[in-house]
Amino acid sequence: MLMRLLRNLSKDKLAMTSLAVIVIIVAAGIFAPWCAPHDPEEVNMKLRYASSSWGYWLGNDHLGRCVLSRLIYGIRPSVLWVLVALMMSVLLGAIVGFIAGYFKGKTDAWIMRVCDVMLSFPGYVMTLAVVGILGAGLEHILIAFVVMKWAWFARVIRTSVMQFSEMEYVKFAKASGIGSFRIITKHIVPVTFADVAVIASGSMCSMMLQISGLSFLGLGIQAPHAEWGMMLNEAREVMFSRPELMLAPGLAIVIVVSAFNFLSDALQIALNPKLMTSKGKLRKKEVGKTVYEYSRG
Amino acid sequence: MDMGSYIVKRILLAIPLLFVISLITFVLINLSLLDPAVVVLQAQEVPQITDELIAQTNEALGFDKPFVIQYVNWLIACMQFDFGSSYVSGEPVWSLVGPAFLNTLKLTLVSSVFIIGLSILLGVICAMREGRAVDKSVRGLSFVLTAIPSYWLAAILIWYLSVKLDLLPTSGMDSFKSYILPVIVITVSYTGIYFRTVRSSMLSNMNEDYVLYGRASGLSERKVTLHILRNSLQVAVSIFCMAIPIVLGSTVVIENVFAWPGLGRLSVRSILNRDFPIIQAYVLILAVTFVLFNTISDVINAAMNPRLRKDL
Amino acid sequence: MKKGSAFGLILLLLSVITVLAGCGQEEGTKKESANSEVKSELIYASAKDINDMNPHLYTGSMPAQGMVYESLVENTVDGIKPLLAESWDIAEDGKTYTFYLRQDVKFHDGEPFNAEAVKQNIDAVQANAEKHAWIKLSTKIVSTKVMDEYTFELVLSEPYYPALVELSMTRPYVFISPKDFTNGGTKDGVSGYHGTGPYKLIAHKIDENATFEANEDYWGGAPEIQKITSKVLPAGETTLLALQKGEINFVFTDDRGADSIDVEAMNQLADSGDFQVVRSEAMNTNMIVANSSKMDNPVHETAVREAIWVAIDRETISNDIFNGTQTVADTLFSSNVNYAHVELKKREYNPETAKELLEKAGWTLTNGKAVRTKNGQQLALTLYYDSNSSSQKTQAELIQHALKGLGIQLEIVGEESTSIANRRATGEYDLLFNQTWGLAYDPQSTISAFTSDSAYKHTTSGLTQAEELYKKIDEVMVSTDDASRQLLYADIMRIVHDEAVFIPITNGRVTVVAPKNLDGISFKQTQYELPFEQMNFK
Repeated sequence: MLMRLLRNLSKDKLAMTSLAVIVIIVAAGIFAPWCAPHDPEEVNMKLRYASSSWGYWLGNDHLGRCVLSRLIYGIRPSVLWVLVALMMSVLLGAIVGFIAGYFKGKTDAWIMRVCDVMLSFPGYVMTLAVVGILGAGLEHILIAFVVMKWAWFARVIRTSVMQFSEMEYVKFAKASGIGSFRIITKHIVPVTFADVAVIASGSMCSMMLQISGLSFLGLGIQAPHAEWGMMLNEAREVMFSRPELMLAPGLAIVIVVSAFNFLSDALQIALNPKLMTSKGKLRKKEVGKTVYEYSRG
Repeated sequence: MDMGSYIVKRILLAIPLLFVISLITFVLINLSLLDPAVVVLQAQEVPQITDELIAQTNEALGFDKPFVIQYVNWLIACMQFDFGSSYVSGEPVWSLVGPAFLNTLKLTLVSSVFIIGLSILLGVICAMREGRAVDKSVRGLSFVLTAIPSYWLAAILIWYLSVKLDLLPTSGMDSFKSYILPVIVITVSYTGIYFRTVRSSMLSNMNEDYVLYGRASGLSERKVTLHILRNSLQVAVSIFCMAIPIVLGSTVVIENVFAWPGLGRLSVRSILNRDFPIIQAYVLILAVTFVLFNTISDVINAAMNPRLRKDL
Repeated sequence: MKKGSAFGLILLLLSVITVLAGCGQEEGTKKESANSEVKSELIYASAKDINDMNPHLYTGSMPAQGMVYESLVENTVDGIKPLLAESWDIAEDGKTYTFYLRQDVKFHDGEPFNAEAVKQNIDAVQANAEKHAWIKLSTKIVSTKVMDEYTFELVLSEPYYPALVELSMTRPYVFISPKDFTNGGTKDGVSGYHGTGPYKLIAHKIDENATFEANEDYWGGAPEIQKITSKVLPAGETTLLALQKGEINFVFTDDRGADSIDVEAMNQLADSGDFQVVRSEAMNTNMIVANSSKMDNPVHETAVREAIWVAIDRETISNDIFNGTQTVADTLFSSNVNYAHVELKKREYNPETAKELLEKAGWTLTNGKAVRTKNGQQLALTLYYDSNSSSQKTQAELIQHALKGLGIQLEIVGEESTSIANRRATGEYDLLFNQTWGLAYDPQSTISAFTSDSAYKHTTSGLTQAEELYKKIDEVMVSTDDASRQLLYADIMRIVHDEAVFIPITNGRVTVVAPKNLDGISFKQTQYELPFEQMNFK
């Protein structure tokens, strides 16, 4: 399944480009100290609002800091931390989903009730509520993300687990006395991976846009750390005297989110080339539901 | 199961959910580490807060009562649209939230009309031309458009249409002209998402047996298409039902950029002021709207597709 | 269906926009001429709704309340002047004040303004005295008495020299028609907002706008500007755009001291020829407040605070961040504040001095470390700033960077102003941004706040001379002799200056952006209101 997915994916040029963009961005973020030409927090008031030069390709901001370096360091909160939050909610959702799907019965019923409750809160509203109670800050938004998103993954994973645990080879494994944990890791995790990947890449888009939106409203990361939404918020002050400062961080967001959008779409197609197989139907209903969650920043 | 009893059962299911939601909303606000009396007094911008003042405020607002009693009192009051008084202005929360909700609803409904219209139009076009240049380019465009941060798009549009060309007001809610920019931004942000839903639902219907059968039995291509359209729109309807509360809940940034006197601005301001009764009302109202539309969407689905009624 | 229909749609949209654009431009010129006819209206941008206009509480917008309500006396450059009271006597013992009221004043609802109304209003304020603890007068009023129709007597428990100054403030000692009282008072809200001021509130749409109309029967003569509208707009570029488009025509520094538009953009507007930018004299001081009572924190040490003081490049802040609109402040009170003509040691910007100070105090930098230490403790501090103020954030970032070079690790945290006020009250801070109260209130309000739990108690209580300081503050407030007050104030200012607990940065001013043809723009002694009634169009 996983192999087929990758094989299908590798035929799609756009998907490969997107994947490359994401990999490059993520790498640049991880290796920011080596990629960035300057210290992103190095203040130099003499260069306040300087336009681009050989030393500073994208110019300097209101404190004379290097915009390019800030853009590169900004990958960390804008993309990498979002990825971490996403992984945590996937993990949490996966554990809960597996428990529900594998043990069924009462456990399942209870877990699904909890999920229903979680899903009946509009995501954006709850993120705002959490920030409202805990106060502004990147970590609070990330906490809100994990708390709000796991239920989506739990539901999708439960459905997949239920489907696949009915399949012959899993039944056979069960009958031959292999432990539940082994069955889950060996047989069920790989096949649900694809579903999770589709939803995760979709969620990634909405989360990145939300983080940047909240930072834009001043509810996100704290200075002096660079973050794209925050850079836009800073640029907003001088939006009409120096519009060029809005350009770089804005485009960065558009590019990365687009890449995740394309990747998500390609994954969906690769997963299900005709978008139609008999067993794909049920799954698609669940995956389709995540559209609901796509509330934006 | 007939439709009537399905609706009754579905509504009965929603009620305990609403209770849990109200409880979570209430607990959430009470999780805050701040002394509510101090928050109230600060929100009123009382320049100096004394201990007596705190004790007095606690008593006046019932913060000294046990938690359960506070919750029950709050819940009973909420059912009568009495969400308490704003910490800041002392006015009843509903008198602030009500009109703001209405303003946001207006924006949401107008935008939804455009989102739905455009989504269906583009979704059908793309599905009919699946894999062709139109389909590919519209889909590609939609991915890029949905990736634009709404405030960024808003800023560009304001700069170009309002300032450079002096066509539209920059902000506020004065006339129908004020709707144009926010509606464009919201429509651009969401159409990309929902048109894909229409498209894929069209596509999956095209592969259904009834289409093959219809074609085989010599129905005209137009009639087949109409069939597909009808069946696809059923799926779309329920998704659009959900789109309304989502747009309702995510106009926050847009409202702040366009100074729209709606819920989003009210909520952000309340968060900044720690005006908890308003935050509480905001979360509760939107969550209830969410559940409400969710229920409606399920009912519509069930009405169109009797098989689903058994799921309950 | 045609292949390019989606693109066609977009093209159509674009062409419609372009066509509309053509029409719009024509309309634009028409609108301008229309604008010049409606001359007597001002529309100003406000970041917040005017809110509850009850003048005896604190949520309302001060500029708006200043238009509608008036006090007995007025604080001007030349001292206390008559307003609703034509004259007054202060008894020998300094405790009894007799006010002789103007006889030609009516509230906006037609009710007469007389001694009875004054008594009812002051009693209504006193009935809610806990909320007014910051204004020391509220703790000293013993009785209020109607002597005759237009004579009113106020008796205090002890002599209190700032009494008249505090009576002149925008709130709470201002007057609303007693007909608007609910339950015989104002603390449970009021049913209307009828004051005696030059403007009446005639319409209010929450979060959209509020309209004030000239009070034709104003005792000081009807104001020339017929209508003033306060329009709620988010600060920053939205305000600027609205100004450029003529949706608003007036902007001023808001009551929190935050300028809503960028300095450079403001200058561009002035250069365009349609607008003028007018600035008041220095009104207050923007500063960093250090928590001296935090015993286990480096900020408790005078040397550390002094080092921070000399490490801040005020010139750069004034020139680059404020483009010269705010001037460098070297002392807590600028010299135009009453009693502030005091010789104080000047601390020039000099990072080397800062280093020496730190070395001398035992904060040393071991090789290869970025942060100084003393007995194993790191020289790490936190500075809180108002997240709504972009200039505070920029300053914080600049200071953070400057201190990093000295081996001081400064963490900066942006929070809401209410949250910062909370920190100030509870003492959970090392350093935070704040501002003095302003000309009309200083020095007495800022200085009496030194002793107030909710204000600067934590800032001052860690000083070795704290006892002495508080004693002097108590003395100066009840002193009846001007010369001794001068001496006491000088001592107080010297103590806090030498201890460097209030680190001044710049002197804030009120900035007004107004149409070029608006005349008579002047300022009051406070950054909180503007005398709209004196303005007129040429």
